[in-house]
Amino acid sequence: MLEIRNLVKVYPGPVAALQGVSLEASRGMLGLLGPNGAGKTTLMRIVAGLLEPTSGAVFLDGEDVSGDPRRIRGQLGYLPQHFGFYPHLSGAAMLRFLLVLKGVKAPRGVKRLAAELLERVNLQDAAKRKVGTWSGGMRQRLGIAQALAGNPRIVVVDEPTAGLDPEERLRFYRLLAEVAEDRLVLLSTHIVEDISVLCPRVAILTGGRIVADTTPRGARSRLEGAIFEGAVDKHEMEALADGFEITQAVLIEGRNRVRVHAPDGPPPDGFESVAPSLEDAYLLLTRNGAARDGERPPETPES
Amino acid sequence: MTSFARWAAVARRELSSALRRPSYWFLFGILVLVAWGFSQGNVTISSGDATAGGERSHITSVFAQSMLQSVLITAMGAWFLAIGAGLVLIRDAEHRVGEVLHSTRLTVREYVWGSFAGAVVAFLVIWGLFLGASMGFNHLLATGADSPQIGPFVPGNYLVPAMLLGLPQIVFFAGVPFFLGAWTRRPIVVFAFPVATLLVILGFLISWSPSWLDPAINRALMLADPSGFRWLNETFLKLDRGLDFYNAAPLPPDTGFLLSRIALAGAGLLAVEAAARNTARRLLRGDTDSLVIGFRRGRREAPSAVAQAGPVSSARTLGELAMRTDPPGFLTAAAAIGRVEVRELTVRAGMYLFVPLILYQSVSQALFALGPFDSPLLLTSGAMAARQFNTLSLLVCLLLLFYTVESLMKERAQRFAEIYRTTPVGTGAMLLGKTAGNVVVAAGILAVALIASAAVITVRQVLGDPVGFDLWPFLAAWGGVMVPTFLFWTAFVTAAFALFRNRYAVYGLGLAVLIYTVYRMNVGDALSWVTNWIAWNSMVFWSDMGAFSLDGRALLLNRLLYLSLIPLLLALALKWLGRQEFDATRILHRLRPRAVLRSGVRLLPFAAAPAVLAAVLFFGGRAGDQGPDAEEARKDYWRRNTATWTNFRMPSVSHVDLDVDLEPAARTASVSGAYTFVNHRDHAYPEFPITAGPWDPIAWTLDGEPNEPEDRAGLYVFTPDEPLAPGGSLTVGFEYELQYPRGLSTRVGGRGQFILDSGVVLTAFAPTFAPVPGYLPGIGVDEDNRYDQREFPDDFFEGETEPALGWGGRPFTTKIRITVPEEYTANSVGRLVSDEVRDGRRTVVWESDHPVRLFNIVAGHYAVEEGRGTAIYYHPEHDYNVEEMSAALDAAREHYSDWFHPFPWELLKLSEFPAYAGYAQGFPTNITFSEGIGFLTKSDPRSHAAFAVVAHEAAHQWWANILTPGRGPGGNMLSEGMSHYATILLHEEVHGDRYRIEFAKRIEDSYGDGRFVNSERSLVKTDGSRRGDNTVIYDKGGWVMWMLQQEMGRENLLAGLRAFIDAYHAGSDFPVIQDMLAVLREFAPDPEAFDAFTAQWFFDVVAPEYRLSGVTKQRAGRSWMVRGTVENAGTARMRVEVAATANERWSDVGDAGTRTVVSPSYRDARTPVELGASESAEFEIVTTFDPERVLVDPDVLVLQLRREAAVFDFPE
Repeated sequence: MLEIRNLVKVYPGPVAALQGVSLEASRGMLGLLGPNGAGKTTLMRIVAGLLEPTSGAVFLDGEDVSGDPRRIRGQLGYLPQHFGFYPHLSGAAMLRFLLVLKGVKAPRGVKRLAAELLERVNLQDAAKRKVGTWSGGMRQRLGIAQALAGNPRIVVVDEPTAGLDPEERLRFYRLLAEVAEDRLVLLSTHIVEDISVLCPRVAILTGGRIVADTTPRGARSRLEGAIFEGAVDKHEMEALADGFEITQAVLIEGRNRVRVHAPDGPPPDGFESVAPSLEDAYLLLTRNGAARDGERPPETPES
Repeated sequence: MTSFARWAAVARRELSSALRRPSYWFLFGILVLVAWGFSQGNVTISSGDATAGGERSHITSVFAQSMLQSVLITAMGAWFLAIGAGLVLIRDAEHRVGEVLHSTRLTVREYVWGSFAGAVVAFLVIWGLFLGASMGFNHLLATGADSPQIGPFVPGNYLVPAMLLGLPQIVFFAGVPFFLGAWTRRPIVVFAFPVATLLVILGFLISWSPSWLDPAINRALMLADPSGFRWLNETFLKLDRGLDFYNAAPLPPDTGFLLSRIALAGAGLLAVEAAARNTARRLLRGDTDSLVIGFRRGRREAPSAVAQAGPVSSARTLGELAMRTDPPGFLTAAAAIGRVEVRELTVRAGMYLFVPLILYQSVSQALFALGPFDSPLLLTSGAMAARQFNTLSLLVCLLLLFYTVESLMKERAQRFAEIYRTTPVGTGAMLLGKTAGNVVVAAGILAVALIASAAVITVRQVLGDPVGFDLWPFLAAWGGVMVPTFLFWTAFVTAAFALFRNRYAVYGLGLAVLIYTVYRMNVGDALSWVTNWIAWNSMVFWSDMGAFSLDGRALLLNRLLYLSLIPLLLALALKWLGRQEFDATRILHRLRPRAVLRSGVRLLPFAAAPAVLAAVLFFGGRAGDQGPDAEEARKDYWRRNTATWTNFRMPSVSHVDLDVDLEPAARTASVSGAYTFVNHRDHAYPEFPITAGPWDPIAWTLDGEPNEPEDRAGLYVFTPDEPLAPGGSLTVGFEYELQYPRGLSTRVGGRGQFILDSGVVLTAFAPTFAPVPGYLPGIGVDEDNRYDQREFPDDFFEGETEPALGWGGRPFTTKIRITVPEEYTANSVGRLVSDEVRDGRRTVVWESDHPVRLFNIVAGHYAVEEGRGTAIYYHPEHDYNVEEMSAALDAAREHYSDWFHPFPWELLKLSEFPAYAGYAQGFPTNITFSEGIGFLTKSDPRSHAAFAVVAHEAAHQWWANILTPGRGPGGNMLSEGMSHYATILLHEEVHGDRYRIEFAKRIEDSYGDGRFVNSERSLVKTDGSRRGDNTVIYDKGGWVMWMLQQEMGRENLLAGLRAFIDAYHAGSDFPVIQDMLAVLREFAPDPEAFDAFTAQWFFDVVAPEYRLSGVTKQRAGRSWMVRGTVENAGTARMRVEVAATANERWSDVGDAGTRTVVSPSYRDARTPVELGASESAEFEIVTTFDPERVLVDPDVLVLQLRREAAVFDFPE
């Protein structure tokens, strides 16, 4: 059981990156969704034991791991948002090195395990080449392999699909879903699709606060019957925005395809009721969360 | 926009960008401080052998400014230029501005030359500001009587050096790194360039200049030196030309040097053009990254299509992999990290650039080391290991500073830190792994240096050197002493990094520590054993006769101290180097007294061992004879007695009876004995003093009865019941125990005397083992109470003069019993009367078979080479030169006896002692030699140190012992100068003209390099108190006697010298130069010429300096006519020969210590000229051969300056 209690993190400036975040999770995939600067990476780094909170604590099975991060390291798989590897080592050597540092063992030995993990992330053909010669996507996959190595109890992944092509993204989804079956996976992202596909539970973070802790379905169901979609010309947009809360506007063939939130009244002319998406819910929640604070959340250094 | 406008725009952009960089303003700050320091006279320049112009040379002179600008640009400018210019194209490539820039009308050449111009102009701006600041400080703020170092304002004095020495260097040091950056795109290669050039310039081009160096090679090195300093030094500074010259003369560059400066600047500009072409080729290829230069093993490759989008894996699920996690073991993790560190370090280009540089610097320093008379040294393994110690320690520490910081920064720099820090490996294992990796690399460098040293020794052995390779000294000096330094230094840098977490702060701290250490050990007071973390200079006193024998205990404690600090430093590093980023708002929380106290208590166990070791070293040193208590006791001796007892004339000692029981392993001796005094004067002595060492308690007797003399801080004043009447005698007895050296030393250093298991050297000069009659005015004098030397009146030598050496009064007889462990041999003055071994102890008795004025003891584990009435006692492994030294000693005994005076003793011995002292001393019958003098030099015709030093020291039997000079100006010349003269004669007698000429040239060069024109006095006035006096006493003294021999004729002079010794050797009036000249004049065939000669060479300061000009040769039938002009640019009036020669003069048959043979093909024809100061004369020489060379003084008969300039070679 991971318990995050009232975490506050203030950077010199001062910039309040987290303003009392509390969460609890035990197993499965927990998505952490929020815009840039919401405090997601700060939260992930505190959970991973890389950052000391200003106040509050993180408990793992009742033990305060934010005060003594050594308690969580042996049980953690961590994929940071930005990372690299020793460029002069081959992919296989780099992964073997990390397996040794993590104390990972397997019946067929570390060398074989490293090869199989690389195969899992489709890097078997590049295993002998130096990591410095790899593309960004390949390095991202090596990062994923090391995060999943050793059956960690908690996997913390921060923006993991950045840099992956669609095919690799799908492969990663499968892997992560498999991993999440018997452990806790904390997935931080600003890509709503990642959450929609993977997470039975999502916490939406904005301005350093959790504004929603729900399921994608629950988020959508709250908007049932309140989302309408229609097409408007460019010059009509301003008038539309005055009367309705626009959740999304996409330009298609020169016209705006617009979704509006109209919970209490009739929709605009020509608009039809549509099924709400998680993105509608996310955008409304983050916008309203920010509105509650009276201003946009400040940009934080790690975002 | 024109091409020029585009070029100018790029240059402006680069200039503006460069001038905004802190590094340039940091340089400016340093330069302003330097300019201020010079203007205040706080910073002085030394040119190696001489300070330009003496003590009051103008810092504003063109020579001083040339030295300053040359050195500053080389030592400092090169780094900033490399960074400023070398990184320009690399930075643009990293910022990927190239493609955008080159999509405009800007051409590659405009871009490259514009960037270079901007970088160079930025440096020139800073340099111009520095020159402006110098002019302002010197001529506006520091003028007047309080600033004698400031001369009149002459703008050319600043601008000529800037143009001649500065600008070509600036272009070169900017151009080459600029090209290297463009070519390799590797900052490390750019940084390596100033490192390499600085090492070559400082370590070789500027500093390596043996006196026997061929002038053509010397000239080539002058022109090759980018700094221009060698040219400046060799042409103007090395030979001191006096204050007037340096302060007022212009700096005239010769054509060759001017061309070399143009070539240097041209090389820089060519490098820029090469950079332009390289950049153009890159753009054409579309290669915007880097060029592989060999170190790099893999090229950047495009990710393969298969790897990017392969089929969906058919691998097993994660669960099927059956992974489990156990906490990694400490050592397993550390080993894994260490392996990766080593692997990362060994693929870095820097390793392959710096390691050869380190090897070059350390090995070449050992290889080019010169011994006495500029002779090459025989490099034993111990000498090789010791001579590389400082350089290797320093350079590897520099490398470790860089690599340790970069290793600790690596994860952050490569964005691997977050993954790395979340692994369950303990921080201790991480630090250990990284430290181990770095230390393994350092050890690897040592191993490579060891292999290189072994190769050098082996190759030299194959080529004929008698010395073989021995591993042990390297293991002891490098493994035992240096490796702890690297471990400590790595831990220190790690702790500093953990504290600051900023690479620039750690670099700053590390460099500051290194610079301060080198400064203290080479310029200021040496660091104590407590603070000498790098064990700097600890190998300077290496001895093959017993390594670490002198300071082994202190060195061991010092090494243990710094090893014991490693756990403390790593504990601090562990504490500070958190893997979690601290919350800044909680700092105050951490600094609560209780938290700090708790941390302190936790660290206490780590600090205990270092504290104890530091205390042992500190208090052990204070309690020893170098400690403050001992120093205060010596000062008390001076304070209480100097006013009363200086100039007190003692009664003579007539007999010395000593019993010295030595225990070398314990450094102790039990001494008992008695001195018999005889009053040879015409007044009674109611009291008289004897100086003793710190040997409490001393049991004194007077005429056999116990006596308690007045103890005046170590000066014991005896008051007999009845005053000692003229002609009367009494005996003072004594008994005590001593240890010498006593206790731990305070810092690295040698000792003049010692009782050590490796050897014993004790002399009666000072009270180290035997009391010395009278008061010794030199004891207890240091910087605080140093006083000016006594001024002697011109007629001071009239009447009775005290001796300059030995105990006052008349010669005495000695009987000295020495007891040592059985395996030792113990020597003293006189002849061996008995040698008995009982119960593992050997007792030898030495008795003087003729009176002496001094005595000494030397003991060691010796082999013996016996000659004709001579013997050489030497370390069994140092037999390389013994045969030659024995022959020299035999020859000296035989010929000096013929030339000067019969040798009055039975045996003449020479004994080797460990190199904890570096001198040789000629006590009566018992010469002592440090192992580094003669025993470990390599002889060749240019320098024959083994022969020369033996000849010189043997000559002291006559010129110090048989004839003891008087105390006062010129006295010491009769000892040292006469010994050099005797050495010249012996060279000629034994080996012929070639060796005599080469030896004369060596000491002539030594005089030219070592004299200080403005402080030099005539021989009769030189008393050893001024800088440069030694070379006057030794080198000029020997030379002047050699020239006097030409003036008087050999036999006349030798007859005069024999008469002189006969007149003075047994009396109580001790002679000085004037006394000698009075005797010699009687033997001069032409007294007027004798007077003229002595007037200029003994009573005046003169030095000829000959120049040839307008030399031509013309064939006339079968003969050749050589014409030219010879000028004496110096002083003195001397008759000298000018010769035209062809072919080599000496045949190689004469090498290897045999008599020289003149080559059959050699030809010469000569004509004499006589020139006074500034006079010149035309000469004509008719030859029957085609002359190749014209030279002044072919037989080296006239002492002169810059002899190499008085040679003209006809073009081929």
